[in-house]
Amino acid sequence: MRIQFTCNGKRVQLDAEPDARVIDLLREELGLTGTKEGCGRGECGACTILLDGKPVNACLLLAGKIIDREIQTIEGVAGADGGLHPIQEAFLDTGAVQCGFCTPGMILSTKALLEENARPEIAEIEEALSGNLCRCTGYGKIVDGVQEASRRMSAGDTGTNGEVAA
Amino acid sequence: MEYLRPSSVDEAVGLLDSSRGMVLAGGTDACVYMAEGICSPETIIDIGHLDALRGIEIASSERVELIRIGACTTIAEVAASPVLPASLRQGAQAVGSPQIRNLGTIGGNVCNASPCGDTLTPLLTLDASFVLRSAQGTRAVQSREFFTGPKQTLLQPDEILKFIEIPLPACTWTSAFRMIGNRKGQAISQVNAAAGFCINDGVVSKVRVAVGSVAPVPLRLEALEQSLEGRGIDEINLEAIQELVLEGIRPIDDVRSTATYRQDVTVALVFDCLMACANQATEAAGIEGASS
Repeated sequence: MRIQFTCNGKRVQLDAEPDARVIDLLREELGLTGTKEGCGRGECGACTILLDGKPVNACLLLAGKIIDREIQTIEGVAGADGGLHPIQEAFLDTGAVQCGFCTPGMILSTKALLEENARPEIAEIEEALSGNLCRCTGYGKIVDGVQEASRRMSAGDTGTNGEVAA
Repeated sequence: MEYLRPSSVDEAVGLLDSSRGMVLAGGTDACVYMAEGICSPETIIDIGHLDALRGIEIASSERVELIRIGACTTIAEVAASPVLPASLRQGAQAVGSPQIRNLGTIGGNVCNASPCGDTLTPLLTLDASFVLRSAQGTRAVQSREFFTGPKQTLLQPDEILKFIEIPLPACTWTSAFRMIGNRKGQAISQVNAAAGFCINDGVVSKVRVAVGSVAPVPLRLEALEQSLEGRGIDEINLEAIQELVLEGIRPIDDVRSTATYRQDVTVALVFDCLMACANQATEAAGIEGASS
């Protein structure tokens, strides 16, 4: 099955098996290994990507579901020159990253949250991240990271990639 | 495996008629079943992208006003819709995680027909009906008749769920949903409950109560509903409802909970729902009184 979609701002066309999962297309066909597979059952959120701006589990997404749609992975969050997004910088500065396996998913859920709600309350942050599990149980620092990102972006910080923050 | 992506409902039911494939809406349950090897369909008919099956609108049909929800409307869209009753929005918000709610659909939740589905008890209390479509025609089935066993419904292999229709009550109706699970995020209900009623001068009518995960299908508690009909809000207490709740349910021990725990929790959740409805009604009356 020939499918086309937009991934991190670029048009992509490829041949996919009809029952291929998007997590496998990203990792195996496109080499975008920042999207992690944890449980493969939609429980852990390590494979979170944005589909038309909304967080979804790439392990529960068949290839046919992304035809003509736009997806963003963690690779599309950093700038083309590798400079970091303010959410990524805030996570580093607050110690929100331990083993790092859940981090891409956490960052994408955070990005979707802050685009809808620039200054979320702690309860709203916890709700937005409720589909992302951290086995290091670093949730306190992760919530700190989201709050710090919210403060920096609201103050106009664009990070080191030059992107104007929402 | 063959993956079919029809461009209309007519084409979808035609393909279903000839192939008897598996209908895919959001795919959040189906992908897990496929990953677990529980099902391996030869043909998938994806209807999730069909605009005709998406959205929430107020519609008129014969004598009644109703809310029509397209089967492929996402759970997140249901949770956020200001036109839907509180119980259905709260039930939708209790499903899975943000990621699951963005993919999963209300039609999928209905057709998957898990006894613990969090939109099912609200739909039962809202007297929802399900509009089913096949190549032969259209029929409507009442929600209280639709669920026949765990993951079993009256939906035939050649049918798709097209719309969910909720009649708008003539009175001011308040409603609430409650669930209990092992943890706050991502938990599947050990028990869930929904309730709603009209209230006039402190007296309740058109009482509806439904509970999930305490029988092979989500259940209406009709004996309890009848016993509360015409009663004052202040007469509703735990003793008044306990016996009729326990008589209505058939909980079992399973992977998520025990029958004994479920009995205790069901009574508490039903009571909590009824009190939440009463409080909303009181608050609404207070706001009305203050502004007049």
